[in-house]
Amino acid sequence: MDPTIKDFESAVAELDGIVKTLEEGDLALEKSLELYERGVQLARFCHSKLEGAERRIELLNERGEIKDAPPALGLGPGPAGTK
Amino acid sequence: MTDLFSQPFEEDRQTPAPLDRRIVTVSQLTASIRGLLESGFGDVWVEGEISNCRLWNTGHLYFTLKDGGAQIKAVMYRSAVRYLKFKAEDGLRVIARGRIGVYEPKGEYQILCDHLQPQGLGALQLAFEQLKKRLQAEGLFEASRKRALPALPARIGIVTSLDGAALGDIIKVLTRRHPNTHLVIRPTRVQGDGAAAEIADAVRAIGRVPGVHVVIVGRGGGSAEDLWPFNQEPVARAIAACPVPVVTAVGHEVDFTIADFVADVRAPTPSAAAEMVIAAKEEFSARLDRQERRLRAAMASGLERRRTRLHLLGSRRGLAGFPARLAMSGRHAAELTHQLRDAMLNARTRRERELRTLALRLEARDLGRRLAAIRGRLEGATGRLHAGMARRVDRASARLGGTVGRLESLSPLAVLGRGYAVCWNGDRSSILRRASGVAAGDRVHVTLHDGELHCSVESTESTDTQIPSRSSRAS
Repeated sequence: MDPTIKDFESAVAELDGIVKTLEEGDLALEKSLELYERGVQLARFCHSKLEGAERRIELLNERGEIKDAPPALGLGPGPAGTK
Repeated sequence: MTDLFSQPFEEDRQTPAPLDRRIVTVSQLTASIRGLLESGFGDVWVEGEISNCRLWNTGHLYFTLKDGGAQIKAVMYRSAVRYLKFKAEDGLRVIARGRIGVYEPKGEYQILCDHLQPQGLGALQLAFEQLKKRLQAEGLFEASRKRALPALPARIGIVTSLDGAALGDIIKVLTRRHPNTHLVIRPTRVQGDGAAAEIADAVRAIGRVPGVHVVIVGRGGGSAEDLWPFNQEPVARAIAACPVPVVTAVGHEVDFTIADFVADVRAPTPSAAAEMVIAAKEEFSARLDRQERRLRAAMASGLERRRTRLHLLGSRRGLAGFPARLAMSGRHAAELTHQLRDAMLNARTRRERELRTLALRLEARDLGRRLAAIRGRLEGATGRLHAGMARRVDRASARLGGTVGRLESLSPLAVLGRGYAVCWNGDRSSILRRASGVAAGDRVHVTLHDGELHCSVESTESTDTQIPSRSSRAS
């Protein structure tokens, strides 16, 4: 993943800022192109994060340990596919 | 009547005690009273208003029950207080159940309560109202405390019973709406004694799990007693203190619990809670799409604005101005054409004049019959020249390019082809008419039919000004 993007939340915040800045206009053409490309990059990152999670059901017991839940709990196959 | 004081002093009288008179100690009397009261009343139900209520460090509750005409002290021991759902407080009208007891050291009788129930409201209802009022006063229900659900919860925490219907409902919705969901479940009892503490523990524990960005706490429907743990203070406090947003889903839509008031979001049912958590993600996804569209639109409009500006600039002084410049240049060209035409006409006139002068002088100098013979032809040529020039000049502006050449070709100087020459001064500003016009050493130019001679004058010699006495060479 792009090293210049810290995490989802900051990507969202940055994207919001870029959209506002671009909408306000009055930027040099090079600068606005640069912002635009960054914005598209951030949006892609966010989309990939939104879609990228994996299905998993775990149990947290009283000792604070997290373990995969028995498949019966997930109303079907538990953790889908790999790990 | 005998005066009391007239009687002898008691010491003096040997008054015998009545036979039935028994003297008892205070303790004996009190014990006796106690026996009467405790056996004579048994369990009593008494209604009254609580006042002077104090919960001692020992856990025992002391208060006074009173009505308009009387009051009775009351005590409730810790073992009973523990089961009290609501908080006993001054001014509360209650029905107390208990035995009458006597506290011998103080000579007081009191009611030993084993149960209190509020009048009017049920105990649970009262407890609910009391806790609600208290937490509200603390500001725990404030809208400003409510956090938005995260768009991208890495993990969704769930606190509920593994046996209840709630869990199945939640998992079903989450996995149907968004298959790739990561859930962490913290199983807990959700009803009965001690459930509240367990739920509170579970909420605290799951709130600390890394990646859990939202927690669903709840259970399926049940009686008011079943839902009771969610009306208890420990649960409310744990939810309020949870570091991530909490969605409560307790019972059915009509059931409101204290936990619901404290939660960031209250869902009417467990399924609805799951829907809400997923909806946040979907809403976010939609918002992301909108942001992307805005991004593209802003960029596009930025470019369009630039294009328009460019166009405006162009129409002001740039490309679009070019035609105007061309038009101006055209006008300039026309003027130049006119000037050129004028210049040519002037040149023609001047040369005609020069020619006439030359002819006159040639005639005047009477070069002989040869000269007379050519004069007619010269005049004819001049006439033709005139006509030709007139026609040419009329077309000059249209055919600027060739005109000069034609003009030259039609020049009267064409007669040079017949052997005449014209002699110019050094800078070609005038034609030499007199030998005295130059001196030895001056440069002169001689125009011949097919070229120029650039000459230096060796010497000058004037001849007779009127008629040359002898033949002279054309210089």
